[in-house]
Amino acid sequence: MPFRLRSAALVTGLALAVAPALAPAGAPPGALVAPAAAQSTSQAVLRIGAIPDQKPEKLNRLYPLVAGELGRQLGVKVKYVPVVDYAAAVSAFRTGDLDLVWFGGLTGVQARLQKPGARVLAQRDIDVSFHSIFIGNVRSGLRPFTQQKGLTALKGRRFTFGSESSTSGRLMPQYFLQQAGVKPSDFAGGAPGFSGSHDATIALVQSGAYDAGVVNEQVWRASLHDGKANRSKVQALWRSPGYPDYHWIAQPDLDRRFGAGFTGNLQKAILSWRPSDPEQKQILSLFGAQQFTKASPAAYGRIEQVGRSIGKIR
Amino acid sequence: MRPAAPLLMLLPALVLVPLLLLLPSQWHGGGGELIGRFLLAAVQPSLDPLVLRSLLGGVGVTLGMAVLGWSASLVIGVLLGAASSRTVWRTLGGHPWPAELLRRLLAIPRSIHELIWGLILLQLLGLQPVVAVLAIALPFGALVARVIADLLDTLPTHALEALRGGGAPAPAALLTALGPPLLPGLLSYGGYRLECALRSATLLGVFGLGGLGTELRLTMQSLEFRELWSGLWLLLAVMLTLEAGVARLRRRWLMPPRLGLAAGGVGRRGREMVLALLVLVPLGLVVARALGVEASALLQRPPLPALPPPDWAAVAALPWPALVGSTVLLTLVAACLAVGLAPLQWLLVAPWPAMKALMRLGWALQRLWPPPLTALLLLFLLQPGLLTAALALGLHNLGILGRLLLESAVDRGAAREQALLGAGSGARQALLYGRLAPVANAYLAYGAYRADVMLRETVVVGLVGATGLGSQLMESLSSFAWDQILALVAVYALLTLLGEELSDRARHRLLEGNGSPEAAPSQLGIST
Repeated sequence: MPFRLRSAALVTGLALAVAPALAPAGAPPGALVAPAAAQSTSQAVLRIGAIPDQKPEKLNRLYPLVAGELGRQLGVKVKYVPVVDYAAAVSAFRTGDLDLVWFGGLTGVQARLQKPGARVLAQRDIDVSFHSIFIGNVRSGLRPFTQQKGLTALKGRRFTFGSESSTSGRLMPQYFLQQAGVKPSDFAGGAPGFSGSHDATIALVQSGAYDAGVVNEQVWRASLHDGKANRSKVQALWRSPGYPDYHWIAQPDLDRRFGAGFTGNLQKAILSWRPSDPEQKQILSLFGAQQFTKASPAAYGRIEQVGRSIGKIR
Repeated sequence: MRPAAPLLMLLPALVLVPLLLLLPSQWHGGGGELIGRFLLAAVQPSLDPLVLRSLLGGVGVTLGMAVLGWSASLVIGVLLGAASSRTVWRTLGGHPWPAELLRRLLAIPRSIHELIWGLILLQLLGLQPVVAVLAIALPFGALVARVIADLLDTLPTHALEALRGGGAPAPAALLTALGPPLLPGLLSYGGYRLECALRSATLLGVFGLGGLGTELRLTMQSLEFRELWSGLWLLLAVMLTLEAGVARLRRRWLMPPRLGLAAGGVGRRGREMVLALLVLVPLGLVVARALGVEASALLQRPPLPALPPPDWAAVAALPWPALVGSTVLLTLVAACLAVGLAPLQWLLVAPWPAMKALMRLGWALQRLWPPPLTALLLLFLLQPGLLTAALALGLHNLGILGRLLLESAVDRGAAREQALLGAGSGARQALLYGRLAPVANAYLAYGAYRADVMLRETVVVGLVGATGLGSQLMESLSSFAWDQILALVAVYALLTLLGEELSDRARHRLLEGNGSPEAAPSQLGIST
């Protein structure tokens, strides 16, 4: 008997001890573990992150490329830290666990309000005037429309936003819906859904789980292009007016930690990416952009205003 | 007329009537195709080595978080439990009032769900592995403390009095007189908490605190069902192994040996426990290292953001009556569903052993599968809203209650059931009156306790929308609206305290009334 127990204890013990040791071997198992690993080597590493607006596979393909390219251009160690939640990305930026983050319009404003002095570095050419696309399931009977008033057709329908904190998948669409006289409580079930990401919204509307939803135009186009969105099942209903969206934001203290002029060099590096370089071309195409341009905090004043009116910014 | 105890047990299942009536109006079935794909994926999970490696890593992290959080909660719980025991204070000289005070204070950390702890600590400490561990350790510690204090205060005191009378110093007398009798309760409850910790660690992952929960949510969100099932089967294996291991140790250490002479003899149990403890301590250190949990992280706190001035008018303008009302309704519906359905399902499948095995597998999957993910799955077929949230919460807890019912009924009543069967009654009657009747009151008492756990858990199904305080809290968190978060957490705490009070009363009445009083304390010991 004691032998049996001892061997059982041994097996359990070994299993428990070995399991976590496997963790660092694979992909970073989650938000929490990676930053700790990064922190042990502290100052020398530039930790970059992004809001999880698309499928993790795509993020995991794109950001290690970005990290590699920035590391090559700047001569510092760059590490991509995946985050699974929009609000967690904002918090991680505030607590200093991320140095450079690809934020959406709303999360960027939230991050800058929580971390005064944070620097807006760059946006994509398409972010100056970004659009949302309202999409509908073909069988739902919803038809494309050209006037904003057409949004009233969504009343009483099963409707899903993306993430709660998404600019193109929630904030601006809710604002356009409000202008057209549609409240969140007007949807079927008394509330909209929050799918979590643009890809999920497309899949859910296409399957019929929701009649309609709203996604960012760039993801919609990419999904049509690679066949993830099936035109016979899901269609665009309406394209919203333009508004400023995604941008790179950096911590205020990078110059102190990485040497004078580092923030400027970082900005220059991002702005220098061109499709002529094969590596950079890959990055740009995953971002769905031709190139990055300078961005100013002032451009996001409108987002802040809408955010305050909807209560997402306090 | 008061219904007989076994029927009382089935009474909550009456909630099915309004539920089934309402279900058609909530049904849209739009995502039927997705559900089909989801079910099909169960039998063909992804075996891609890359996926499996990442999932294994996730399991390791989740298990590590659970073990560390659990160990810390036991240490916290035993210390605070002793400190909030009236007997201890009285023996150490003086009044029991510090115990009373501490007991009341501990109600606050206990009334806040692990998830909220996690999200609050994330703000205070930043993205640190220690956040998930603390998020489990703090509320669990307060829970353990309450149980330990209750156990200590209900232990017979004559041994203590005799030792004190004989001139033994207070601390030594306390340890000698109360330590050994406390051990069975502590072991039994501690084992149960480990299972809870695994579930909590998975759930915390769903909300972004790392580990397998995170993987599950990501694969769910990107509708990669085959990868999702790889993770689920893996987690199921871990959970069943853990449960079986805990049950085995509990039986081995707590049940009197059936063949007293043949077993290892005097002191065997003690030696094994010391051995287990010796394994556990270095194991904890290894796990902590692997996860990057550093106690020093607690000291280097990142500065808090400049908080915007609170807007109490906006807080007051929230639809409080509706929020509280739907939260309470959600809890009640989910609780009735879980409590009533477990014995009902068992009765229904009683004549067919194969169906019973299927039911057990179903229950295992239900308690394994975090409620927010069930909710997302239900949204493929049902409208968002209270009913969907209640189903998600109810099904999860059904898995937990069902297992408890099976476990407690298996130990008891087999003879009675056999007798009834022998006398020619049907399989269902024999089960109901033979096996279920003796545990009915203890089961209902546990159900009452579970109901206030469900009240706390309403927060995790907030993402289904329109589910009261939970969904409002999620929204306020993503808006970083501190004033609202503070008010919501306070209301949650108040509701939980009220619920605890009510469920305590219900439990006492159930256990003092008719039924099997001798079964009650041990049952309560496992379950509180």
